[in-house]
Amino acid sequence: MNTIWALAKIVVLEMVRRKDFYVLFILTVLLTGTAGSVNLFNDNSIVRYLKEICLLLIWAASLVIAITCTARQIPAEREQRTIFPLLAKPVTRAQFLLGKFLGCWVATGMALLVFYVFFGIVSASREQHWPVLNYLQAGLLHWLMLAIVIALTLLGSIVFAAPSSNGTICFVCTAGILLLGRHLNKVALGLTEPLQSLLYGVYFAIPHLELFDVRDLITHNWDLIPWGMMVLATLYAAAYTAFFLTAAWLIFRRRPLN
Amino acid sequence: MNPAPALLAALALATALATGGRLLAWQTERAQDAGSVFDLLLGESRRAFAVHAFLKADAYYHSGFYPSVFDLAQQADNSKTHLQESIKSAGAEHHDHDHDAKPAKARDWLEAFGSHFFPSQHRHLEKFGDEREILPWLRLAAELDPHRIETYTVAAFWLRDRLNKVNDAEQFLREGLRANPQSYEILYELGRLYAENNRDVPRARAVLELAVERWLKQEAPKADPDKLGYGQILAQLADLEERAGNLDRALAHFARLKQVSPAPETVQKRIDELLARQGRPR
Amino acid sequence: METLTIDNLRVEYRSRAVGEPVKTAVKGLNLRVAQGEVFGFLGPNGAGKTSTMNVLLGFVPPTSGTARLFGVDVREPIARQRIGYLPEQTYYYKFLTAEELLRFYAEIFQIPKAERSQRIDAVLKLVELDHARTRQIKTYSKGMQQRAGLAQSLINNPDLLILDEPTSGLDPIGRMKVREIIQRLKSEGKTVFFSSHELGEVETVCDRIAILHQGELKTEGRVSDLLREHGTNLEQIFLKIIGHPPPP
Ligand SMILES: Nc1ncnc2c1ncn2[C@@H]1O[C@H](COP(=O)(O)OP(=O)(O)O)[C@@H](O)[C@H]1O
Ligand SMILES: [Mg+2]
Repeated sequence: MNTIWALAKIVVLEMVRRKDFYVLFILTVLLTGTAGSVNLFNDNSIVRYLKEICLLLIWAASLVIAITCTARQIPAEREQRTIFPLLAKPVTRAQFLLGKFLGCWVATGMALLVFYVFFGIVSASREQHWPVLNYLQAGLLHWLMLAIVIALTLLGSIVFAAPSSNGTICFVCTAGILLLGRHLNKVALGLTEPLQSLLYGVYFAIPHLELFDVRDLITHNWDLIPWGMMVLATLYAAAYTAFFLTAAWLIFRRRPLN
Repeated sequence: MNPAPALLAALALATALATGGRLLAWQTERAQDAGSVFDLLLGESRRAFAVHAFLKADAYYHSGFYPSVFDLAQQADNSKTHLQESIKSAGAEHHDHDHDAKPAKARDWLEAFGSHFFPSQHRHLEKFGDEREILPWLRLAAELDPHRIETYTVAAFWLRDRLNKVNDAEQFLREGLRANPQSYEILYELGRLYAENNRDVPRARAVLELAVERWLKQEAPKADPDKLGYGQILAQLADLEERAGNLDRALAHFARLKQVSPAPETVQKRIDELLARQGRPR
Repeated sequence: METLTIDNLRVEYRSRAVGEPVKTAVKGLNLRVAQGEVFGFLGPNGAGKTSTMNVLLGFVPPTSGTARLFGVDVREPIARQRIGYLPEQTYYYKFLTAEELLRFYAEIFQIPKAERSQRIDAVLKLVELDHARTRQIKTYSKGMQQRAGLAQSLINNPDLLILDEPTSGLDPIGRMKVREIIQRLKSEGKTVFFSSHELGEVETVCDRIAILHQGELKTEGRVSDLLREHGTNLEQIFLKIIGHPPPP
């Protein structure tokens, strides 16, 4: 565990020292600020559209951060050959993968924290209330979803050689699931066999990332999600994350490095 | 190593969608004199975005609950949004649509589980003034497609009827009128505003009579004219004149209304009432 | 007990492209290195030195045969607990300072917290990077980066040091430093296994050498014995063994 944590810290440190996060954060602040400064029928208490835009930006930025940060980890280690002195130490390949995963996950978690605090300030500035628990649930689910995405990207970075193509593929898959995942079963209903069974198979196999997207509940001030459901969602995310990490390990375990 | 350019492009797209209206509006301003093909394409996508913004307003009206196109494909009746319906019933509590409190039955366990994580129940805005939240999307829809009449009429309804923002409603309608000078629908809304909110009879009369004129010019020659719209204008005019004490004029309007009304008996009743008040025999 | 044992090692590289022949880098290598020895692993470019080391470090699985460090099969990560390794080309996390880099590796070796700073100070002093310890590695010169690499290979106070061409690309002062360090480790009773094709330095620091050519072991023995046997210097012996005509 110490080894994994040591590896993770390096990833976090790298992210803190790179400009990506700051650029995206400033971009989010600027765009939200622009949207907030539009005069809408002289009414300053209109807030939901602003919450929606801010959350959309946060989601997009978090996906970009998570995917780019993860996609470059292993290729960079190999390209810059830092993996050799590292794996010459008593580090197993599993620890290496877990360390990278944990680092990317913690780093994006820290980024999320900053983003959600900003979101809280934006919404509180107009709504005068601060539903911390709801934000906590939303942030937590968001973070859990990113765990799946990061594990998937890590797997991709082992399967695909080029980090940019891996990043693009992962981004497209993630966005596709977020937009369409919920509807595949309904689309399947309208198809003929064997396409129908095929699409149903896909529907049940893919990780339903969109489950973790509770932006609408936050935007429209819905009630808390039952905590039992939160636990189930956590287990759901953990299962997919574990699956992707295991697959990554199985492929990476015996791969020659040279 | 730089982040993949494709990802940056994707982010740019996402942000463009988010701030859609402003960015697009700004972009078209600059692209005004570029090729007309470009304008045409952009015009099409702007109209599509405008429709999207309008639907968004409807979703906001239901606190984020909105059936997707995939859900709608399963149902037959989805010609009109709730937002429009609720206005057609003119602010009366809109019980004209199905208020199934229970969400639709889940098709599988994933759907059942997922229903906890998004607005899966039909719910309307609750607190007074929450209706204001739909306005940004209507504003955006107008900016994207200034020729969408119902954007103006719907927004004006909420502004003056629910939010007490008569001046802003008037301004927005005027804006719509500038973009669509021939629209009798906007004139009608403007007339209602003057009549009901401002109690400015001469202006209301002028605007509503102009609306009648426009309707007769545009709709009357059509095979299937918008009789409902015409009836609304006439009813409004008749009410206005009645309140102002010009019973002759009111009667004239009612007479025309009777010809297009789907319920001529009701109109006849009003006519009878007025005649009685005038103290004239039948 | 032998520190390093290689039995019948064979390393093949299978190309991903279909139809390309399998490339055999090491053919049936047997090697033993005893504790406290400085062992020179010689051979021209492409002889298979790096490939052998890749097996020792677990980067590449042996096609057949075995390799052991301290009696533990190299496929076990624990075999690498007591070794230090300096790769042929050294690159480190550019965004870290030398001190952070060493702290990271110290954590990986699970060196107790109390000892960590002490170890870091000691190795930085040894490679003379003390003055630059808080600078990011990307600002270092090539020689400094090589020394940072040497520092990381020593962080765990290893009993066996594996160095892949540690002096290639260094200026004469840099080479002298590396030689000094090797001799110092030898005086502390450590085992050093290093590859090279720079025969002058090999002659001065090595107890024993092996010469590898095209994946095969050509000769092996004490430097003094070899010199006596052939009656000439190491360079001539090397050229003779790999089949080059001696210069006129
Ligand atoms: N990844 C690889 N794939 C194919 N052949 C390789 C690979 N790595 C090394 N070789 C070949 O194996 C042989 C030995 O290489 P190497 O061990 O690097 O030699 P040295 O370190 O002695 O210069 C060379 O002929 C080289 O071309
Ligand atoms: Mg080599």
